[in-house]
Amino acid sequence: MKKLFAIILAVAMVLSLGVFASAAGSELAGEYDVTVWAPKAAVDLTKQQIADFNESNEDGIIINATVEEVSEADAATNMITDVSAGADIYFFAQDQLSRLIQAGAVTKLGQGAATFVTENNSAGSVIAVKAGDDYYAYPLTDDNGYFMYYDKSVIPEEDVDSLEALVADCENANKSFSYELENAWYNAGFFFGVGCHSDWITDSDGNFIAIDDDFNSDNGLIAAKGIYKLVSSPCYVNSSQTDFASGSAVVVTGVWNYATILEQLGENFGVADLPSFEVDGESYHIGSYSGCKLLGVKPQEDPVKGAALNRLAQYLTGQECQTERAASPDDGGMGWGPSNKAAQEDPACSNPALVALAEQNAYAIPQPNIHGSWWDIAKVITTDIKASDGSDEALKAALQKYEDSISAVFEMTDEVRNAFTVIGTVAGTNWDTDLPMTADGDVWTSNDAFEMEAGTEFKCRQGKAWDVAYPAENFVVETAGTYHVQLDAVSGEVSLVPAE
Amino acid sequence: MEQKRHMGLKTLNRVSNTAIYILLIIISVVWLIPFVFILLQSFRVESTYQVGYVIPHEWGWQNYLNLWNSDFKRWYLNTFIIALASAVLITIIQLCMSYTLSRFRFKMRAGLMRFMLILGMFPGMLTMIILYRVLSDLGLTQANAVPGLILVGVASSGMGYYVSKGFFDTIPKSLDEAARVDGATRFQVLYKIILPLSKPIVIYTILTAFMGPWGDYVFARYVAFGTSAGYNVAVGMYSWLTNDQIARMYTTFCAGGVIVALPVTILFLCLQKYYVEGVTGGAVKG
Amino acid sequence: MKRYSDLEYLRLSKGQRFANKLAAFFTGIPGAIGRFFIKIGLAIKNGFMALVNEIKDILSTFIHGDWKTKTSFVIMGFGNLTRGQILRGLLFMLFEAVFIIYMVTTGGYWLSMLPSLGKVGPTSEYNAVLDTYVTAYNDNSFKILLYGVLTIFFIVAFIYTWVVNVKQNKLAEQFLKSGKKLKSDKDDLRSMVDEQFYKTLLALPMTGILVFTVMPIVFMILVAFTNYDGAHNGFSNNLFTWVGLDNFNTLLSWKGGAGGGQSYSATFGEILTWTLIWAFLATFTNYFLGMFVAMMINKKGIRLKKMWRTILVMTVAIPQFISLLYVSKMFARNGLINLSLQSLGWIKEPLPFWEDPTWARITVIVINIWVGIPYLMLITTGILMNIPADLYESARIDGANAWQQYRKITLPYMLFITGPYLLTSFTGNMNNFNVIYLLTGGAPTNPAASGAAGSVGYTDLLITWLFKITTGAESQYYLASVVGIMVFVVVALISLVVYNVLPSIKNEEDYQ
Repeated sequence: MKKLFAIILAVAMVLSLGVFASAAGSELAGEYDVTVWAPKAAVDLTKQQIADFNESNEDGIIINATVEEVSEADAATNMITDVSAGADIYFFAQDQLSRLIQAGAVTKLGQGAATFVTENNSAGSVIAVKAGDDYYAYPLTDDNGYFMYYDKSVIPEEDVDSLEALVADCENANKSFSYELENAWYNAGFFFGVGCHSDWITDSDGNFIAIDDDFNSDNGLIAAKGIYKLVSSPCYVNSSQTDFASGSAVVVTGVWNYATILEQLGENFGVADLPSFEVDGESYHIGSYSGCKLLGVKPQEDPVKGAALNRLAQYLTGQECQTERAASPDDGGMGWGPSNKAAQEDPACSNPALVALAEQNAYAIPQPNIHGSWWDIAKVITTDIKASDGSDEALKAALQKYEDSISAVFEMTDEVRNAFTVIGTVAGTNWDTDLPMTADGDVWTSNDAFEMEAGTEFKCRQGKAWDVAYPAENFVVETAGTYHVQLDAVSGEVSLVPAE
Repeated sequence: MEQKRHMGLKTLNRVSNTAIYILLIIISVVWLIPFVFILLQSFRVESTYQVGYVIPHEWGWQNYLNLWNSDFKRWYLNTFIIALASAVLITIIQLCMSYTLSRFRFKMRAGLMRFMLILGMFPGMLTMIILYRVLSDLGLTQANAVPGLILVGVASSGMGYYVSKGFFDTIPKSLDEAARVDGATRFQVLYKIILPLSKPIVIYTILTAFMGPWGDYVFARYVAFGTSAGYNVAVGMYSWLTNDQIARMYTTFCAGGVIVALPVTILFLCLQKYYVEGVTGGAVKG
Repeated sequence: MKRYSDLEYLRLSKGQRFANKLAAFFTGIPGAIGRFFIKIGLAIKNGFMALVNEIKDILSTFIHGDWKTKTSFVIMGFGNLTRGQILRGLLFMLFEAVFIIYMVTTGGYWLSMLPSLGKVGPTSEYNAVLDTYVTAYNDNSFKILLYGVLTIFFIVAFIYTWVVNVKQNKLAEQFLKSGKKLKSDKDDLRSMVDEQFYKTLLALPMTGILVFTVMPIVFMILVAFTNYDGAHNGFSNNLFTWVGLDNFNTLLSWKGGAGGGQSYSATFGEILTWTLIWAFLATFTNYFLGMFVAMMINKKGIRLKKMWRTILVMTVAIPQFISLLYVSKMFARNGLINLSLQSLGWIKEPLPFWEDPTWARITVIVINIWVGIPYLMLITTGILMNIPADLYESARIDGANAWQQYRKITLPYMLFITGPYLLTSFTGNMNNFNVIYLLTGGAPTNPAASGAAGSVGYTDLLITWLFKITTGAESQYYLASVVGIMVFVVVALISLVVYNVLPSIKNEEDYQ
């Protein structure tokens, strides 16, 4: 195997050295047996698109594809079961990316492929495929968000912008309000709506190294009050199913349920972005996650097959294929909102649900890589809020517990949480390493003296997070030298102490 | 006086019998309701999702047609093959095991039984990953999951010897001894004397072994992951109830449920007598 | 604890006797533990002595044996072959050949890698020409552990066979010297269906159990001492390795780590408590209600007995994944039951069957009754009919009412016969994966234990938690192993207690 690989590599080198500038393609000619996992709705279209690829590609690649039905939500679980037996190319939801990278189940994109992704796709979808400085997958859609479907016979048009009005309408009509808030994907929207953020930081291997999160804050309390308004109502149902047939008047879900809900509601079909809620006279529009479906390629031992698979993946995520998927089910598509910028402009790629999604996207956060346990930790916020009496203390306690759980993910002790560290372009690090400091009363001094160039920048931060960090703007070293970094934790004043 | 008391007893009896009848009717309704509902919903064609009523507004065979046009046929065949093969092989294995442990007294016997008792205390779920790997190395996963599932099911079935051992224990040993005196080998004793007497337990074992695979989900999913050709009915149909499919496949699921449950139930009702003998004769005494 | 003389003991009521036995059991525990260790010590000593004797025996066989026997020490089966037992000889030789070939070709490698579980993980290189990353897979920790264990099994089997081979030679030599005839191949074959018939019968089942039950369990116990998880899958990302007792420390220490400020040990304790409550309630509600239904159907004068039974029994036949999934949807917030109750105007707000912890726990137990009654009804029907009718007759003459008859005759009889069944049913319910998984999937979530591998819910049993750990976001196989071992310990302890308190289990020969 290794020998073969060496020969292929040598041949490739020679060819690339001159004669044929675009010769790489012809080496790819050949037949490849490939397993593809696609969700049920996309199976037939994907088969068709692969057949089109076989005809149209100029490299002579013939893909003998076995397309299996595996939902994009289960792809990671299935791949991780046994990477070697998993699919070569598969659809997956973006929140699984870090699990897949960590399991070695998805290949890093080469430079050319990365350029293809960044140039052609929407900003949000590019963030979704990035981990550290590398790109790991191809965006398929940019429609994995949620908004609101409602029954026009129950909800008057003028009420759709207010959570309070919607709840009142549902209560009066004895109907339900389906909003799966006991799921972190949905309840986080309330926090984003009030300006909170929760960002996980990964390195290039897909490992999580830190979290920057302020759900447990004054703003977070406002979000918690908003959640309480809904979950304390008898009309609240923790569901994102197509519940109109079983007593709901409002359902918060995504484009995947568009066709079913249209059928259920008929002329009473209504769709809109999420409403606003009011706390202390201020109005806050509920936010959401915007996310993507992605196409992953499994790491290959054979470089030629790997290259061929990447070609196929680029074709499947290109403008043409995304436009085909965006068509309505009657026209052989699935109504998936494209991530491809050119396809997004195309009016043929739109329907009322996608319009509502686009409106909601103004309030949405592109879904980054998220630690698997966060979903379990954050969904409990709702459970706790629901069980509480709605008082500020009770809501704060729920948020405090959330923060404690999150900190425990990195097994941060109180000591670590309270300690300050130096981070920046110090001592050969590049904002990626926390350098320890030791406290003497309220004065913290770095354990080591650092040799610093003029222009070196850094900050001192607490608990390896950015909630407390000094100075507000990066500290910039003016004169080169060897210094200890010193911080007065009370005043927040940072200074350099020349080392003897 | 005597007469009066008799009358009193009779009325009392009548009252209590009426109460019992009422209770039994309630129980029957409660027990049958889910199945009647599944049956009714499998004929609903006006919508495919969950609704708040039971009796369809429009009746039709559409859901069964959907089944026919999906991979369900393949899943059904797979399950049927597994069930059939399991029924034959598991019965052989369990009978070997239980007969031996009931009839022979050899050096390791007590130790062996204690060992298996202890083994049985480990949660089987634990071994799922390793069994998958073993099957994977044998090439018996995904598309080849059917032989793989049969192999695992049959190989570990020896552990479930208790019920049939309990039954064999009830057949008098004097029968064996008489035959041995007449010069029969141990094999002949089993074949000619014990087996003909064991019809109920054999049928019971076949029946339970046949029914098992129809509900096998967790391990079957693990072995056949991502390959529809290797699914059994439970794995395949479970995917219809996931979030992205339930709205379109709910009534089809009901139809599938009917198709799966019907033959098994009919078979079961036909052989009910043996099943009852099996559980009462073996299960308790083992 | 009070000690009773025989006469005093007989005067005690049932309950007092039971309490006495229970107390005797628990006060006896320290002594039992002491005896247990003495026993183990003795066993070790005896085992050691036996080993020494065995080696002495083998050595003396070598010294005193003839050349055929001596050759057999190296070439197994040689003695058998030269003494006319062709079949045995060939089998021995074949086994040795297979063993040597296996050890030389692959076995040696697995064995040598076992201490480290692999040295080189996968590597990835960029191929600029093809603009693609190329992966090379190297060692595979999982396979090393798996085949390492198998190789050890194989070596043990080989040593055992070798010893048998030596002993057979010794016996054969002695036999021939004393002028007796050796068993021919034909005799061997015949004995396989006669005196040795049990070996023939057990060969296949035991091989299956060894490979597909024992070996995986040994393997999974070993996993508890490694860091095998989603981030160290041993093949496509990082290799895993031995970590000693770290995982047990994680589960049993009181320090935080599971999230929600709650430690793993507290989470484990909560789930264990619910598991035991569940097992107790599930077993006994089914038992008594099943018996009750059986008695109703069996009552004299009730007609259509067969029909009632058939209706109930149908639920046994229908696969649980259909019936339970359907029932679970029926009880959902927007499910049929809530909707019909609402439309009847009996309730205003939907009942929180699956949302409220207490409701959910009660609902699973009630639905489990629905699942279990038919089975119990069948079992108890048979036994009830076996109770001698004259017992009731004489009780009735003594003026006992129905309740007294039940208390004095039916119940004791049933408990005596079904004692062992109750025990297996209890441990079975502790591991009742299907009912919980299909009905609730563990829901509703327990906020206090939210961070604990795979989000723990209020209806989660240890077995469903184990499943969640395995398939959850982090796939902590090592933790699942530790929990599995704990489940074993709990089940074993309970069985031990019950075995010692229940007299009817101990003596299996009583039934024959």
